[in-house]
Amino acid sequence: MRKNVRRACSLFLAACLAVPAALLTVKPASVQAQDTTAEEASAEEDDTIVLRVSNWEEYIDLGDWDEEETIDLESGDIIGENSMIEDFEAWYEETYGRKVKVEYSTFGTNEDLYNMLTLGDVYDLVCPSEYMFMKLMAEDMLVPLSDHFYDTSDPNNYYAIGVSPYIKGIFDAKTIGGEPWSKYAAGYMWGVTGIVYNPEVVTAEEASTWKILNNSKFKRQVTIKDNVRDSYFAAVGAIKSDLLTSPEFLNDPNYSLRLEEEMNDVSPETIQAVQDYLQTVKNNVYSFETDSGKADMITGKVVANYQWSGDGTYTMDQADEDDFTLAFAVPVESTNIYFDGWVMLKSGLSQDPAKQHAAEAFINFNSRPDNVIRNMYYIGYTSVISGGDDPRILEYADWNYGAEEDEEETADYPLGYFFSGDPDDEDYMVTVPADQINRQISAMYPPQEAIARSSIMVYFDADVNEKINQMWINVRCYNIYQIPVWAWCLAVLIIGGIVFFLIRSRRKKNYD
Amino acid sequence: MPVFGLTRKSLRIPYVLFLAVFVVAPLFVLIYYAFTNGSGQPTMRNLTGFFTDPNTLGTLCYSFAIAFVCTLVCLLIAYPTAYILANSGFRHKSVLLMIFILPMWINFSLRITALKEILTMIEGNLAMYPFFNAVLGMTYDFLPFMILPIYNTLSKLDPSLIEAAKDLGADETQAFFRVTLPLSVPGIISGISMVFLPSMTNYVVLDMLYNSTYIMGSLIGSYFAAYNWHGGSMIALILLAIICLFTLVTESYTEEDSKGIGGAML
Repeated sequence: MRKNVRRACSLFLAACLAVPAALLTVKPASVQAQDTTAEEASAEEDDTIVLRVSNWEEYIDLGDWDEEETIDLESGDIIGENSMIEDFEAWYEETYGRKVKVEYSTFGTNEDLYNMLTLGDVYDLVCPSEYMFMKLMAEDMLVPLSDHFYDTSDPNNYYAIGVSPYIKGIFDAKTIGGEPWSKYAAGYMWGVTGIVYNPEVVTAEEASTWKILNNSKFKRQVTIKDNVRDSYFAAVGAIKSDLLTSPEFLNDPNYSLRLEEEMNDVSPETIQAVQDYLQTVKNNVYSFETDSGKADMITGKVVANYQWSGDGTYTMDQADEDDFTLAFAVPVESTNIYFDGWVMLKSGLSQDPAKQHAAEAFINFNSRPDNVIRNMYYIGYTSVISGGDDPRILEYADWNYGAEEDEEETADYPLGYFFSGDPDDEDYMVTVPADQINRQISAMYPPQEAIARSSIMVYFDADVNEKINQMWINVRCYNIYQIPVWAWCLAVLIIGGIVFFLIRSRRKKNYD
Repeated sequence: MPVFGLTRKSLRIPYVLFLAVFVVAPLFVLIYYAFTNGSGQPTMRNLTGFFTDPNTLGTLCYSFAIAFVCTLVCLLIAYPTAYILANSGFRHKSVLLMIFILPMWINFSLRITALKEILTMIEGNLAMYPFFNAVLGMTYDFLPFMILPIYNTLSKLDPSLIEAAKDLGADETQAFFRVTLPLSVPGIISGISMVFLPSMTNYVVLDMLYNSTYIMGSLIGSYFAAYNWHGGSMIALILLAIICLFTLVTESYTEEDSKGIGGAML
């Protein structure tokens, strides 16, 4: 027996070693090249600025595109050869004459990032979602962006020049402790939440409400997000559906304000109602997912999928490749508009002006229209940059989803609200195939009317957070009162049986 | 006798260090967190909270139910398998055993992913049978851990005992129930403890097979995700207590049983 096992093991090991060895011998050149760059970097470390950046996983262009992936816009080709980080290092040295070394790392969730920060990890520039940078602002952990950063006369200030007027409006208007977001945060990507659905099974009307999550018509065929904030938002939308869609509410002069209040309602009654609602959702959904929903949607295991618009675009693109059509709906009640933004940390910068300059340059470099397009293509999310006078970002939207010249039915899709601030601006109109209207383009740039009913989800204080987290645990747990009577009887029988058996065998032994 | 100037005592140091750093120290951290609250004050609230909340208690019951059914199914499959393997006249017995152990060489999340696709083909919609799928997935995952210890005890069983039983007039069935089965109890118990306890906490299988209900493992995880180290530690401690209790009860039976055959176990 030993001999056989040993023989099998050694065979297996040999196979394991052989494959990577073969791969290594094919590509020794690139490995050597990497080694030398690493040596160079360490040799000249003294006068280089080290910038520690932490971002979401898969959230920046890492380069290495194939030739055929070139984005051939009218204004020229765009292709990602190197990673954005390498390109930034080269650009910074060329533009400002100083070497910079970016130490790039990633995080999985906003909470992970916050945990890492409180446990003592040090970063200069991070990119959390809006509720997390609101929390960091409130806790006074951030360094304000410099005045120079917003100086539009410097051609290298791509962010200030290119940021969409719509996004700028939000970042200027929203405040924490009397200070606007824009004082500390520069946007990166944004989007809304909605429902990706299979139009052959689900009608647009059924998909356009949060109530689809517990619609028994699609029992075990819808998915919901596996995190408390997204689920809470959807649940509030569903329970307050009647109020939120009533004409009086919609025509209220303070509609936006009231909507945001309603969607951020954390009164004990609402939390209880959300718990009850999510309980019914749990018995109706296919899964609570973070990532698997995309694949389950494409393979047809589910027919509707609560999704962030960026991942929604990706899902629809992937399905298209299999000739399988999916659509995107923004619920009528409200949609959660979210932003990921760059913020600089006090603990990292420690008042080093050179470092702050490099950090702001990093934001600007990622806001340069060609780089914006590279990032958008690579990540699949929508950038907050509209490009100012640069036409390429609009061209990119057209390149992606615009109608071909021989298309029979087309429709005009207005993007003025995002690109110029004027919803009716004729210059920012994309002509798309008619069936695109509720598909990718509407996930990439949600239509004006969907934006009108968007609401930001604020961060909750520790007390409320604890209650909501407890609510979430209650939903996911198995309540003891749910255990049916027969199960209790069975359990008693089994336990009784085991105890009886144990005692009997012990007795017997004692007699022996 | 010292080898290379090392006495037996000094050879002990690495093990003691390892135990201290990776077993004893974390245990104390766990106990500290379990009995304190957010501001570091000692409290019993975590303990009483667990036993008064219908949700946590229900989750404990649900985990028990999954683990119980999974262990039972494993045992029902593993015992006959191990018995046949141990008693077969096949010359390359080890090859047969290898076939059963082979899946253990493949990463379990990979195996569960494959199982997921197969089940989808058979059941259509996986999420319709959450309990069944959870049990199936865990049985698939833990079966080798049940087969191995039982096989070990059975293959070490002295065949002359059964011959003696037959000489004394027992038929096949009687010999099995009066001799083979009682003597293989240590293997069974060792198998049960290797299957029952892990299947109470192995929530990854549930996640991957779309069972949305928490079991003990995911409950601890959800407490930690919400920065509630104290509640999570308490649940971990309670699980530890259950394991200790279980081991104590089974120990008292196996010790006596195993005297005869020299404590044959894995």
